[in-house]
Amino acid sequence: MAGLAADRRTFLKGLGMLGAAALVPGCATSTTNSSGSSGSASGELSLQSNLSAEQAKAAMEKLVEAYGKTGGKVKLNTVASEIFRTQLPTYLTSANPPDVYTWYAGSVANSYAKKDLLLDVTSVWDGMKNYPQSMQTLSTGENGQKIFVPTSYYWWGMFYRKSNFAKWGVTPPKTWEEFLAVCKTIQGKGVPPIGIGLGDTPWVASAWFDYLNIRINGAPFHRQLLAGEGRFDDPKVKAVFTKWKEALPYFDPKGKSFPFQEATSALLGGKTGMFLIGTFFADSAPKDALDDIDFFQFPIIDPSVPVAEEAPTDGYFASKKAKDPEAVEKFLAWLATAEAQEIYVKNSSGTVIPANPDGKAADTPLVRKGKAMVQDAKELTQFFNRDSSDALQPTADAALTKFLDKPHQIDQILKDWQAAAEKVFKA
Amino acid sequence: MHRISPLILAFVFVPFAIEAVWVFWPALQGFWLALTNWDGLTAPKFVGFGNFHDMVTDPIFRTALKNTAIWLVLFGGLSVIGGFGMALLLQKERRGVGIYRAALFTPVVFSLVVTALIWRVFYQPDGLVDSVLRGVGLGNFVRPWLADPDTALYAVILPALWRQIGYVMVLYLAGLKAVDPALYEAARVDGASAWQRTRYVTIPQLKGVNSVVLSVIVIDSLRSFDIVWSMTKGGPYHSSELLSTYMYSTAFQSTQLGYASAIAVVIFLLALAVILGYLIRAFREET
Repeated sequence: MAGLAADRRTFLKGLGMLGAAALVPGCATSTTNSSGSSGSASGELSLQSNLSAEQAKAAMEKLVEAYGKTGGKVKLNTVASEIFRTQLPTYLTSANPPDVYTWYAGSVANSYAKKDLLLDVTSVWDGMKNYPQSMQTLSTGENGQKIFVPTSYYWWGMFYRKSNFAKWGVTPPKTWEEFLAVCKTIQGKGVPPIGIGLGDTPWVASAWFDYLNIRINGAPFHRQLLAGEGRFDDPKVKAVFTKWKEALPYFDPKGKSFPFQEATSALLGGKTGMFLIGTFFADSAPKDALDDIDFFQFPIIDPSVPVAEEAPTDGYFASKKAKDPEAVEKFLAWLATAEAQEIYVKNSSGTVIPANPDGKAADTPLVRKGKAMVQDAKELTQFFNRDSSDALQPTADAALTKFLDKPHQIDQILKDWQAAAEKVFKA
Repeated sequence: MHRISPLILAFVFVPFAIEAVWVFWPALQGFWLALTNWDGLTAPKFVGFGNFHDMVTDPIFRTALKNTAIWLVLFGGLSVIGGFGMALLLQKERRGVGIYRAALFTPVVFSLVVTALIWRVFYQPDGLVDSVLRGVGLGNFVRPWLADPDTALYAVILPALWRQIGYVMVLYLAGLKAVDPALYEAARVDGASAWQRTRYVTIPQLKGVNSVVLSVIVIDSLRSFDIVWSMTKGGPYHSSELLSTYMYSTAFQSTQLGYASAIAVVIFLLALAVILGYLIRAFREET
């Protein structure tokens, strides 16, 4: 039965494909848009959400319900994440787009803002003075307008089961050498030390690339590389893979075949030792297992490199063509309140941290530790596609899964990656 | 001379008008987009034949082209052979033969996406395929079927065949029903063996069905997409990529809609070449 969740998603994806295929030809060159004043009489806002995991979806419903009590009317439309991602450009360029969207801050939002598709939400930010500067920067487009309202962030880390670590007699490592030693011990117990899920979700491998790169070459180099200002066949990038190679014998060979949700099951079932993943994995984990879950920071490789962590920020942006911009701004301002963010935290798996500094995160040791790690970091990165683009992500997927399979072909892989990336940047 | 009733004209022109808006016009736009670089958001940039030029040096495109050829030969060839074989086996009316026919035809009823879901469960680590192999002492062959670049494409062809064979079988069964039994009688009287009867009576009589089967197979091969996408998405690292999946992923994942349109044009030309080639041959045989 392990495949059921994945199966339903794949099925939905199939449906989405049909939808996309039907929609796209129709809008092929219709980049000219109507004024968008087709406003619905009901004054109801439409909220397009990609939070389709069970707990996250339930939390979104609660959130919309709570907003309803304040007198606002919002219609929630939940779409499977993969479909949402591929359809987003279609939504935004359509003549009558949904008003508000769950999505990611940083270069992802920026790329849409650059094409003048996002609503200027600067006025919402007037009420968000308590947000840290880093969040403001992240939510500001190139022309200085605010285009995004962050509502939560989470962290990536090496998750493991406390009881299993105790059973195997290992403690969380701090450095790369210690990490490899832990891997060796766990392998000696007959368990693949490092879990991964590349089946339907090859992007999970990007976390390894991101972390090794920010640990070895530093966050500024990483960001430049992803912005197209570096080359993937650079010797500095190759150094990342040379390091990665040392850990390859410890990866779960079955991880190639299943998605990260099943890798989560493998971790919880004690079939793998550790798993580099974002806290969103908890949305598809049983809540009682979470008490036994802990994480450690990705091992330090070069102590002279300022420590950076991956802390993707989630939130909302709105369509430029929103029918009732005032109502949208009111809704976004409400979402930015500590109260609204706490409603979400309480009703979801509780592993995200409110973006509003006054918002209370779930008071668990796990979340306290995660929050502290992010706050102590010298630099923050978002994630591969969020720091680069959705279009660059497939190039990383191909390169990294191939590396995991055929590490000796690394020179050719990096050459191909660079060629594929150039094509994306040129398009 | 009859005046054609407006109702009949409407039956011709209304569908044509709808088709023109929803099919012909987008298709023409596709040709235009193939000559541009377009991200789906901003205005397309005209690049002439740049996309086609890129294709020549694109290793993924070459893999996709090669895989499409393999698909055409294996999926097409085996489903004809398998379907024809099954039809021969099951053509005679015996007790219970309907059950076998129904069993072989059942997969056609399922959507390919559902088929893919079931087969993915078979192929998953420690799934049915692995257990069977281990059970019969072939544990050495166990591998991540869909995640191994050497097996992914073939692991996807199998369920596609599983479905297509039933379909082709039904076409041939219908063809076999149309063969005049007197021909077999005559052949038997002349002392023809079972093989000779198949070779010299059955196969020549099926010429009409063959042309239908061939066009169905070629079209189905070139438009194969759903099963590959639901099972491997063309991965791992493009090793099971077909032209159709590569077109989709370049369009909607990498948002290179110009390049994707260029791939679509190539698929169109390939289909056209195969079908025209066949038509020309068919006409020659007629005259």
